[in-house]
Amino acid sequence: MRVRAGTARLAIGALFAAALYLVPVAFAGSPYVLFTLTLTLCYAIPAMGLNLLLGYTGLVSLGHMGFAGVGAYVTALLMKHGLASFVPSILAGTLAAGLVGVLTGVPCLRLRSHYFIIVTLAVGMMLFLLFNNLDWLTGGAAGLPGVPRPRPLDLGFAVVDPRRPAGFYLLAATAFLLVFVIQYALVHSDFGRSLAAIRQDETLAASRGVDVFAHKLTIFAVSAAIAGLGGGVQVLFLRAAAPQSFGFLEDVNVVLIVIVGGSGSLFGPCLGALLFVALPEALRVADAFRMVLFGAALVALALFAPRGLWGLAATVARKLRADRSVVARAGHS
Amino acid sequence: MTALLEQIVNGAMMGAIYVLVALGMVLIFGVMEILNFAHGVLFMAGGYLCDVFVLHLTGSYPLAVILTMVTLAIIGVALERGVFRRLRVNVPMQIVASLGLILMAENGAVLLFGPSALQLTVPSVHSLVRVGELSFTVQHFIIIGAAVASIAALQLFLRRTRLGAALRATSQNPEAARVIGIDSDRVYRLTFAVASALAGLGGALLGPLFLISPQMGDLPLLKGLTAIVLGGMGSIPGAIVGGFAIGIIEAVSTLFITTDYRDMVVFAVLIAILLVRPWGLFGIRVRGDA
Repeated sequence: MRVRAGTARLAIGALFAAALYLVPVAFAGSPYVLFTLTLTLCYAIPAMGLNLLLGYTGLVSLGHMGFAGVGAYVTALLMKHGLASFVPSILAGTLAAGLVGVLTGVPCLRLRSHYFIIVTLAVGMMLFLLFNNLDWLTGGAAGLPGVPRPRPLDLGFAVVDPRRPAGFYLLAATAFLLVFVIQYALVHSDFGRSLAAIRQDETLAASRGVDVFAHKLTIFAVSAAIAGLGGGVQVLFLRAAAPQSFGFLEDVNVVLIVIVGGSGSLFGPCLGALLFVALPEALRVADAFRMVLFGAALVALALFAPRGLWGLAATVARKLRADRSVVARAGHS
Repeated sequence: MTALLEQIVNGAMMGAIYVLVALGMVLIFGVMEILNFAHGVLFMAGGYLCDVFVLHLTGSYPLAVILTMVTLAIIGVALERGVFRRLRVNVPMQIVASLGLILMAENGAVLLFGPSALQLTVPSVHSLVRVGELSFTVQHFIIIGAAVASIAALQLFLRRTRLGAALRATSQNPEAARVIGIDSDRVYRLTFAVASALAGLGGALLGPLFLISPQMGDLPLLKGLTAIVLGGMGSIPGAIVGGFAIGIIEAVSTLFITTDYRDMVVFAVLIAILLVRPWGLFGIRVRGDA
């Protein structure tokens, strides 16, 4: 039974990955769809990072795009000034974001939940103020234009050129899959189970021998590093770094992506990212009336889908399955 | 020295605004353990309602301010009944619902009043008070006075009335309060009504001095949140000290560094204080606090 469940999960994963990589073939004729999907991936990566924190550990961080910004600016600066090639640049960005995560986590993770939420908000605002005002380094409010895309990569059987839409999509999809696998592995590890224990009852977890602070600090750093990776991918995709991409509105946006999609589920943040990127693109002219409706939809969701859309879908699916088994049993008797 | 005095008065004025916002948030948090991130739009609604009441209904600014507070109290009760009562334990969904409310209110204001800011002219903004070489608008002192009066009224209400005692009891121990016959639903309604009226008062007072715009509540919300954390969540004296401290710190800091980094100073002070006292200046230390 265990083996079969494992095989089924592996098959679903393989199908998911294959579908992800076949997207450029399916939408070869429509660069607009490809653009939107690439942007979705750029948002899904930091969202998955935040999900590890918010969904699996129960810590709400309201400044997470600040860490994405650290990754983005480090990657952009290294690439723009030709100091490093693509892989070292984005790794440096990821590590820098993780480091800032550690520096933030050490003082902040000692705080109680509501204090923690507001202090992460303050950290996010401080990082934004730095991006926006350190003109000599970040270009200030005008941002950092002219970030080059990575060079073409020869795989032997094919050449992936990230300067073309399909090529960059494949690059973003690879980063996305990498983070998805990390998310999966973390959640299903002993470490992940300890995180769940901390989320459910911190005192009990501590008394059972879980080093609560060390676990929280580790996952906070990992989560910030993943956000940094997402920021790096995004800045290379858009070819420019702008402070607004990592400001308060974006901080809130990524929290909404995770919660509305369904925090604490593997696919929830991906669904949320698709919704929050594709929907505004579809409603291109976001006029005030539509935004009022969108706001009302968020309130309704908060009231009627307490576990997000993915949680709602899971509940509906379980109900349907239960109904069917009832029907089947009725048929047998 | 003159510049310092000027910044202290300006800071006390902004601090008074932050106190009005923070008091409401700390009441809601203290009684219901809800963080109302939509508190800024109540402030904004106060600005617009006051403008409408002055121009179309009363013609008198003081009367319009009182009407604004009454209207916002009603809106607050509706919000508590309709939205927040059902989200008491779910912090992430409180954030989602608050954001939904912010989107609805800010874009609703754009639909009703247009995207550009309104200017409400009242006499107290144009008459000046001279203090030595400095001059301030009368409105500066009205704002500080109104905040002080609100604090006093709130204290009297909480300490001297039965309803205030019921509110304090519910905040300290909801179950025990229910056992001795306190109608907790009534307390929650009352809490939201008072908190919303205070936010509306803030908006109605600051609106004429600055401009009335859909985003006018964003900054007071952020500073109000900082104030209640700085002071200690759930502590009313903490919200008062926190609000005034933030207003004065940010105003005085502009004497030493560029305004670009003004908020940086505020947030740095917040983090520094929480490093020393993780439960805030006036908060209560509970088990597990490092």
